[in-house]
Amino acid sequence: MSRFPLSRRSVLTGLAGTAALAGLSPAAMSQTKAKLVVIGGGFGGATAAKYLKQLMPGASVTLIEPKSTYYACPFSNLVIGGGRELSAQAFGYDGLKALGIEIVQQAADAVDADARTVTLADGASLSWDRLVMSPGIDFRWGALEGYDEGAVDAMPHAWKAGQQTTLLRRQLEEMEDGGLVVMSAPAAPFRCPPGPYERASLIANYLKTQKPKSKLLVLDAKDSFSKQSLFEEAWAARYPDHLEWRGASDFGRVVAVNPETMTLSTEFDEIEATVANVIPPQQAGRIAHAAGVADQTGWCPINGLTFESTLVPGIHVLGDATIAAPMPKSAFSANLQAKVCAAQITRLLAGQDPEATVLANTCYSYVADDAAVSITGVYTNDDGKLMSVDGAGGVSPLAAAPSVREAEAAQALAWFRTITSEAFG
Amino acid sequence: MSALKTRQLMAAALLGAAASLSACNPANGTDDAGMDGLKQAEQVSVPDRTSMLAMSCSGCHSEAGQAIVSLEGYSREELMTALMRYHDEADGTTVMHRLMRGYSEADMASISVYLAGDKPL
Repeated sequence: MSRFPLSRRSVLTGLAGTAALAGLSPAAMSQTKAKLVVIGGGFGGATAAKYLKQLMPGASVTLIEPKSTYYACPFSNLVIGGGRELSAQAFGYDGLKALGIEIVQQAADAVDADARTVTLADGASLSWDRLVMSPGIDFRWGALEGYDEGAVDAMPHAWKAGQQTTLLRRQLEEMEDGGLVVMSAPAAPFRCPPGPYERASLIANYLKTQKPKSKLLVLDAKDSFSKQSLFEEAWAARYPDHLEWRGASDFGRVVAVNPETMTLSTEFDEIEATVANVIPPQQAGRIAHAAGVADQTGWCPINGLTFESTLVPGIHVLGDATIAAPMPKSAFSANLQAKVCAAQITRLLAGQDPEATVLANTCYSYVADDAAVSITGVYTNDDGKLMSVDGAGGVSPLAAAPSVREAEAAQALAWFRTITSEAFG
Repeated sequence: MSALKTRQLMAAALLGAAASLSACNPANGTDDAGMDGLKQAEQVSVPDRTSMLAMSCSGCHSEAGQAIVSLEGYSREELMTALMRYHDEADGTTVMHRLMRGYSEADMASISVYLAGDKPL
């Protein structure tokens, strides 16, 4: 066995090798001709396709993703703040192709769980023995009055990275000094719980350094949020004149927006923004609803052991679309869920029961260009239920030396390189 | 440089700059509770659970030369010493301290064996 176990190949070699010791037949695993289809080429889907193919080289693995370039959301707040270019967020699928994964560059239109098929946008049909869906999020257009698909140019969400990310940055750059930037943050659950507050930090940092007479007002549908004490500490120290946060009980919840007048309404007042960033209410991506794996909450219930849908057998769901709490909707979670799911599908196809394990999550958030804080969690999945481990996890210390924040900023960058390589490399 | 010295330095890197070298010496660690856990893991094969446990590591740790240390080249004793240290340091606040508090000794031992590239005995 390799002495370099965390290289991609050896982690996988190790998995196959040690599986033999538990009574699995590596031959049976590698010779499976199973047809495995993955919908969605983000952190969850790309990772799942890769691990399925490497665990079962004889299987046919197809990744359905309409876009040729994926723009990663983690670190996209740095692009908005001016400290990073969007090109650093772009990832393609050539690495997966080279592994023997078939990439179908189309949208999945429908799923028939009984016939075990996926219908593509062009009408073609793919059959599958196991389907993995990592559909990400869609917005609940109109759930916030006035915010529909027609509003996103005037009031970008920038909650799916790409053109929206650069649009929001450009609006900040074109704003005259003295302007008011307003962000609307949604109620939970939503993609990337600390994301709005990292973004608020980096926008405030931009205003402080480039547009010092301007200000950011964060209007929040919640009274508490992820890493709150750490963000508030950073805001008080760094951005006292450039960032104001209003929680729900302080009439912070936005109830309507008007992109023509650039106003956001709370239950108390109406605020005119120079630049408005509306992070809208969310739900699982469209195809999850079409496949019947989303419930009345708009999200997808899963078995925490296998990530198989509890609504539709044979379909596994990963990442932001799932109800995996206490695991957050993060790239780290999606990537790890994909690996564990691929391992469990390998076991299932080899006739073995899934096995319980321990999962983790780590999310870094920048509070300035060169300073970051983190949150971690550890989770068990015995009996199919994801549970936080008592006494583990938590956030960076308050009142830490600048060197601690700088070290976490450097770790964040290393994490980004690793996680994107794990998914797309 | 002696092999032992090299291992001590690598384990120190794993633990971070604050760790003392003496605590990283595998020879000093063999009587620790953690080493008992390691022996148990060698006897009880839980490879599939273990493979999935190690998947969490691969979300952050990869090649050398970055702000997050590469895990390549460490022995299971060094890995176990480091993981137990993170697990036990009550006032530790790093990501690894916060994470390892959630792992049992048996799981840390399994991970150490797996990452060292050793086959469970």
